[in-house]
Amino acid sequence: MEKLIIIKYGELSTKKDNIGYFLNTLKNNIEKTLSNFNYEISLDIGRMFINVEENDLEKVLKELQNVFGIHEIIIGFKDSNFDISAIKENTLNILKNKEFKTFKINTKRSNKKYPLKSMEINNIIGSYILKNLKDIKVDVLNPEVLMEVEIRQHEVLYYLEKIPGLGGYPVGTLGKGLLMLSGGIDSPVAGFLAIKRGIKLEAIYFESPPHTSIEAKNKVLALAKILAKYNATIKVHIVNFTNIQEAILKNIPNDYLITIMRRMMYRISERIAHKNKCLILVNGESIGQVASQTLTSINCINEVVKMPVIRPVACFDKLEIINYAKKINSYETSILPYEDCCTIFVPKHPVINPKVEKAIEYEKLIDYEALITEATKNALIINISANENNSKFEDIL
Amino acid sequence: MIYLDYSATTPVSYEVIDTINKVTKEYIGNPNSLHSLGVKSKELMESATNQIANIFNVSAGEIIYTSGSTESNNLALIGVALANRKKGNHIIVSKLEHPSIYNICNYLESIGFEISYVKNDSEGLIDFDDLKRLVKDSTILVSICAVNSEMGIRQPLKMIRQIVKKENFGTLIHSDMTQAIGKVSVNLHDVDLASMSAHKIYGPKGIGLLYKNSNVNIIPLMYGTTKGNSLRPGTPALPLIAAFSKAIRLANTDIEKKERFINLLNEKIVEHLKKYPHILINKTKYSIPHILNISIMDVMSETFIHALEKKEVYVSTNTACSSGELSTSVMAIYNDLNRSKHTIRISLSKLTTTDEVNRFLQIFDEEYKKLSNLK
Repeated sequence: MEKLIIIKYGELSTKKDNIGYFLNTLKNNIEKTLSNFNYEISLDIGRMFINVEENDLEKVLKELQNVFGIHEIIIGFKDSNFDISAIKENTLNILKNKEFKTFKINTKRSNKKYPLKSMEINNIIGSYILKNLKDIKVDVLNPEVLMEVEIRQHEVLYYLEKIPGLGGYPVGTLGKGLLMLSGGIDSPVAGFLAIKRGIKLEAIYFESPPHTSIEAKNKVLALAKILAKYNATIKVHIVNFTNIQEAILKNIPNDYLITIMRRMMYRISERIAHKNKCLILVNGESIGQVASQTLTSINCINEVVKMPVIRPVACFDKLEIINYAKKINSYETSILPYEDCCTIFVPKHPVINPKVEKAIEYEKLIDYEALITEATKNALIINISANENNSKFEDIL
Repeated sequence: MIYLDYSATTPVSYEVIDTINKVTKEYIGNPNSLHSLGVKSKELMESATNQIANIFNVSAGEIIYTSGSTESNNLALIGVALANRKKGNHIIVSKLEHPSIYNICNYLESIGFEISYVKNDSEGLIDFDDLKRLVKDSTILVSICAVNSEMGIRQPLKMIRQIVKKENFGTLIHSDMTQAIGKVSVNLHDVDLASMSAHKIYGPKGIGLLYKNSNVNIIPLMYGTTKGNSLRPGTPALPLIAAFSKAIRLANTDIEKKERFINLLNEKIVEHLKKYPHILINKTKYSIPHILNISIMDVMSETFIHALEKKEVYVSTNTACSSGELSTSVMAIYNDLNRSKHTIRISLSKLTTTDEVNRFLQIFDEEYKKLSNLK
């Protein structure tokens, strides 16, 4: 009997013609996540099997809990002996190290040629366990220990312990998107939700030195690193927004500052998305949260791009978003108090219902085309990997 | 010189001294400053903490730097006690703890907490039935060291956790892991809080840490700024923190191989000393090989230590922190006053050589013959 990790796929199993593509992507993603470990991986249509060294088991399980496309992670045993006496013995060997009062055996038989029916196997194993272990009872409704036995084509699987996976689709199966990552609470959550549906994300961040600090940038990179855990790696495009922001400040009436600024950011984002073959923009806008997120504002800002913009947290309350942020461990980083582009120079009374015609009229006051072309061209790219091991301080640590 | 007092403290390794030097010279900024020098220091600090967190499989936010294990023990016990007053006032500790734990307990007792001392069996293992009996609704904390400092007794923390949590799920578990880290593998998920110190693992003196699970609330013992480290305020000791992180990384490689080697040295000494009828070996099946405790019944411990010291051999009576008193651990296990007054602790390291052990035994024989003949 060999101990191994069994992966059950989630929504994936509903895919038909392209299931091979989904499974291979999942396998690649798992391989990237486990690049620091020694392991062997194999798969079939229903399950994936991973063998790891016993010492690494806990760490590997923790890593697998960050991989989308996994419905359930099971710690189990595999044996190729189909003999019922071997099955009885294996089950006993697994159960005798456990402390419990009540149990239930649940057999599944995907190998329909197996001579015994599932119920018969349950009875045979169950009575063998009762005979060999003291002070235990069968409880079919609410057992302390549920021992599952799967009779498959080429092997028998045994397992007790199951950990829920993240669900969703394997990252990358749906193509690429560009996340507008600000440093607040909402955008990392939006990113997480987009990744969940199989979108491989890149991120874009606008900095405005010296008005914004290195710490603000580092904070965004730290958030990107949190997302990289689910995305394998993440490419962050850093756009220097200082010239544009100063031009806006100098020329645009106060109440339209934010509207115009957001329009510029959308334009640059769309261009960078095109250049990097991203099919959609993703951001953390939540309807009504601030002046630039009213429906009229969203209309007035969205108007400058053709690319679809996905807003995964649009209909979440702030508290719901915070709960998500805490779940993915981005909350603590997001609330660090560094100013970003959107929070410096906030007018006292931003327009709540901006008009497109007015925005266009105001924009004529600055030569924005030249400015955004320059900002797009000079965007800096940083690749962030979740597994990066302090390489920056290798000589010290 | 033959240094065999590694459990009192260790020499700082050259690689770690390099780190202290480099960080002191090149990272002058305060990690809390906003300018780029501060940011540079902060990045180093975060990387150092992440490295420690990764090694122990916990998150960086669960690590609080202190001046050493004594402070970590104070922050853990007093911090938990004061934060949980409404839940209860009962604390359980073992009879094999470092003196700092007992002194903290005395203080807590003086302000109204009730302290119980769980029994151990003749091998030093915590008496599980007694532990089960002691845990009650008002028990807020159980503190049991992972490895005892006088005899190296190692406790099964996972079992202890299961027993305690089964009786009272809310009871927190603290472990002083000072003598365990770098010597044997530890699992921080077995406990809610753990104390560690750098100077026992070839790191500098003056830096330690408290691991505190993020779900545990404690009250700080000191108040300062609220930035970042509100549970233990003060400007972070960056050179020491970076050095500590490196020392932990170095100490956690090849633990099993080092342990096997040290075990050979330990067995060699035991085999040699067994021939003396008045020397008792204070070792049980739970003792780790790094710490070897013996009782020389016909010579005063202090006299013997000074005799060895003249030949440049350095060992200790019991722990450096309670020198001159009787060994509480030997007493707790053998219940023999005379035996616990005559203890010598020989502590071994990966740095110890077979040659050193041979010379030590030779000097030991000479000095022992001289002193025991006087009687």
